[in-house]
Amino acid sequence: MARAPGLYSRVIAWAKIVLPLVALALLSTIFLLSDRREPMETVPFVEALQDGETTREGVSAPYYSGKTQRGDFLTMTATRVRPQSDGRVVADDLAAAVRLTDGSEILLDALSATLTDSTETALLEGGVRIRSSTGYTLDTDAMTTVLDRIEAETLGPVSGAGPLGTLEAGRMRIEASGTGGDVQLLFTEGVKLVYQPPKEGSSAE
Amino acid sequence: QQGAQVQFGGMQQDTRAPVEVTADHLQVNQSDGTALYTGNVIIAQGEMRLSAPRVLVVYAEAAGRIERLEATGGVVMVSGSEAAEAERADYNIEAGQVVMSGNVLLTQGPNALTSERMTVNLEDGTARMSGRVKTVLQQQDDAQTGGGQ
Repeated sequence: MARAPGLYSRVIAWAKIVLPLVALALLSTIFLLSDRREPMETVPFVEALQDGETTREGVSAPYYSGKTQRGDFLTMTATRVRPQSDGRVVADDLAAAVRLTDGSEILLDALSATLTDSTETALLEGGVRIRSSTGYTLDTDAMTTVLDRIEAETLGPVSGAGPLGTLEAGRMRIEASGTGGDVQLLFTEGVKLVYQPPKEGSSAE
Repeated sequence: QQGAQVQFGGMQQDTRAPVEVTADHLQVNQSDGTALYTGNVIIAQGEMRLSAPRVLVVYAEAAGRIERLEATGGVVMVSGSEAAEAERADYNIEAGQVVMSGNVLLTQGPNALTSERMTVNLEDGTARMSGRVKTVLQQQDDAQTGGGQ
């Protein structure tokens, strides 16, 4: 039927053409004009999966305790232990505590440790902290220890504080050699101790 | 008891200065905590140097303090320009005193003194020698009559 004359009908007729075009333009801003972004990139992937972490099995928070022939107690804990293909075991954040028959105690904390069952030895590396109940707190880079008896040796220089002052040495060995088999800390290859006598009078304190 | 009072080191020494002990080996006994330094041990404090093949550290009752160092096996002590030798020396850090015993030989410039025991007080730089003190004075030959003591 013919369109009725008048301004109102003309406005409506134009509106019927212009409004869908505007709607079309608005719609296209969502699809045509939006920036190209690969959806896969934005998804946060776990880094650990990249090197096939899941395929290897491991034990978290392991606890090992044992006793040497001499009767000293050895306990070891770590945050995570992963067996290697060649039968060795790698432990992260190993904390070993040796409680000796004479009541004293030696604590070893290492960033990572490789334990070899065949030779009953462990290689502690990545920075080892040695604390002895006689008041020694020493740091070294790496250290080898024997698991079934009291024997350990640092691979490099060791430095830290003793009960008397700061102490540095080229190498340190822990072994049960002294008279009566009590455990000795042997510092070798040059030892230097700096002792600061207390400031106040000798009789004070 | 009579003995000879001599000047040793000739100056006051701060007995509270840090004591440095260097050696080839150190053996610490885990059960009783004794520390034994072996292999040309040198104990140094301020001007004083004391060297010996073996030094045992004796702790004071209070934790973390050395009462004295026992140097044995032939000790040489140098302080300033003087030197003293003996078989054994007990360096009491607390009291700032070194007791040398076993045919002590003290050399001061040309002169030499020997005795059985010598107690060196580091604080005022004096030493008291006792036990058969013998002094050997070096005769000034005529050539340097100008110089001398």
